[in-house]
Amino acid sequence: MSSTPFSLYIPRDSGMHRLHPLTKLALVGFALILGLFLPGDWLTYLAFVLVILPLAAWAGILPRFLPAVLKTALPIVVSLFLVQGLFWPGGTPIFHLGPLSLKQEGVTFAIRSAGRFIMVISSFLLLTFTTRPDGLMLALSRHGVPNSIAYVMLATLQIVPRFQAKANTILDAQRSRGLETEGNLFIRLRALFPLIQPLLLGSIVDIEERAIALEVRAFGRAGPKTSLLMLHDTPAQRVVRWLLLLASLAIIGWRVYLGLAA
Amino acid sequence: MIQLTNVTYSYPRAETPALHDLSLQIPAGQFCAVIGANGAGKSTLCATLAGFVPHFYRGKLSGTAKVAGIDIAGSSLAELAGTVGLVFSNPFNQITGARFTVREEVAFGLENMGVPPAEMAPRIDEMLRFARLSEQADQSPYALSGGQQQRLAIASVLVMRPKVLVLDEPTSQLDPIGSREVFSVLRDLAATDEATVFLAEQKLEWVAAFADRVLVLHQGRLVADGPPAEILASPTLSQYGLEPTRYTQAARAALGAGFRPQHPDLPVTLEQAVEFFR
Ligand SMILES: Nc1ncnc2c1ncn2[C@@H]1O[C@H](COP(=O)(O)OP(=O)(O)OP(=O)(O)O)[C@@H](O)[C@H]1O
Ligand SMILES: [Mg+2]
Repeated sequence: MSSTPFSLYIPRDSGMHRLHPLTKLALVGFALILGLFLPGDWLTYLAFVLVILPLAAWAGILPRFLPAVLKTALPIVVSLFLVQGLFWPGGTPIFHLGPLSLKQEGVTFAIRSAGRFIMVISSFLLLTFTTRPDGLMLALSRHGVPNSIAYVMLATLQIVPRFQAKANTILDAQRSRGLETEGNLFIRLRALFPLIQPLLLGSIVDIEERAIALEVRAFGRAGPKTSLLMLHDTPAQRVVRWLLLLASLAIIGWRVYLGLAA
Repeated sequence: MIQLTNVTYSYPRAETPALHDLSLQIPAGQFCAVIGANGAGKSTLCATLAGFVPHFYRGKLSGTAKVAGIDIAGSSLAELAGTVGLVFSNPFNQITGARFTVREEVAFGLENMGVPPAEMAPRIDEMLRFARLSEQADQSPYALSGGQQQRLAIASVLVMRPKVLVLDEPTSQLDPIGSREVFSVLRDLAATDEATVFLAEQKLEWVAAFADRVLVLHQGRLVADGPPAEILASPTLSQYGLEPTRYTQAARAALGAGFRPQHPDLPVTLEQAVEFFR
């Protein structure tokens, strides 16, 4: 019960936080496009330094943001370099390590993929750290996304911590009844089976009760809804969103053109 | 305000009906409690008053059930929301998960009903004060204790100003402190004569303390109906799998041991027990 539903959001009173959720979505979407579509090996890193980092700094969340990006990306990035660098088939060796050798082509590939990966992770984290999910959902449903889909997206954001908490409770209960949950892989896998049933059955009752709770609060009612939460939008932000969208399309177009030309 | 006429209901695929030929009338402003052993049909009756029987659980409903003049089977859950409020046992599952703070959680129902924001704020503040949650207004609903979450569930439903509030064992999943907090809010509700409240409850001491009227359900049938002092002290209670309050039990034991009270009425509340043993 201790897990909060919006645990990733970091409340701050910053200009970035005050932006309309769709503006933030457009900014982050643009950063994502940069990360995925910029040509070459290093431009992606440049985008990280020139777009993502300043936005995170503006939001006042750098001290939490950087470690989070590092923690999420590091294992993947390290394994990318090791696997691609060492086991690139028939590449040019640039460094010998006993029987192994680091290949030029593998390292280049790893640099490019790692950059893209870091951009994807960091733009997602930037959005979730600075945007209240309910605000984002409100903005989306005001722009034509159906309420029920917006709710499902919002609820999905919380389902992982809830399932985790519940799985732990059940595991504890099973363990206290003598079930082996530690030891080798086989023993642990076997411990999962008794876990699945209560986890699912428990959640069906939960889902039913949740549906009832929503109905009681008139969620299924047709007709216009209002909102206590105010979203502040400005003409300037609307212009910026369009510009970001156009710029994103231009980058994709440029990339496609480069691909066709090559 | 509540009017049931020959209501019989069976869950899908059930062999015996969960509610059996129920007829009763509850006037506006009454605080009515329903008691009964496990499986007696209390939750089913609550679900019927809120329209979840038959609109959610399906199954077969016969007879007529009306709340505030609205025929339940003939209307929809969306129409009934706002007319009947329902609070159930699990506080956690009643949090929508769609709102960030306690204040916004209370606002959720009003938002869905399309209440203008300017009108929402005073209604929410008043409700938070009533549920003693003003200090928690800006916290996450998930940061609250069970008792606080249950009071939040009550506030979130009451703020929609339903004609009838239905509560299905609202404290059965709370610790004693949480239960007491919730009951003290219910006691305030009972003290106002405007609210029509229907409470399913196993804790008879609380029922005795503030219900105007007590119904006893047994295997889906209404077997007793009357004022708390009469119903709860009745010797038939144990036939229906119910244990009398400790005050009644103590009084019976005292009578058995030869105690002669000035007034022979068996007590069901602490105050009555004090009188009895004086
Ligand atoms: N969803 C359901 N589907 C089928 N049968 C049900 C369902 N819910 C309850 N029942 C059955 O209906 C009968 C009445 O149950 P109900 O839950 O209304 O009793 P209750 O008085 O609320 O009991 P408790 O004190 O345990 O909450 C029981 O026999 C029960 O098994
Ligand atoms: Mg029940």
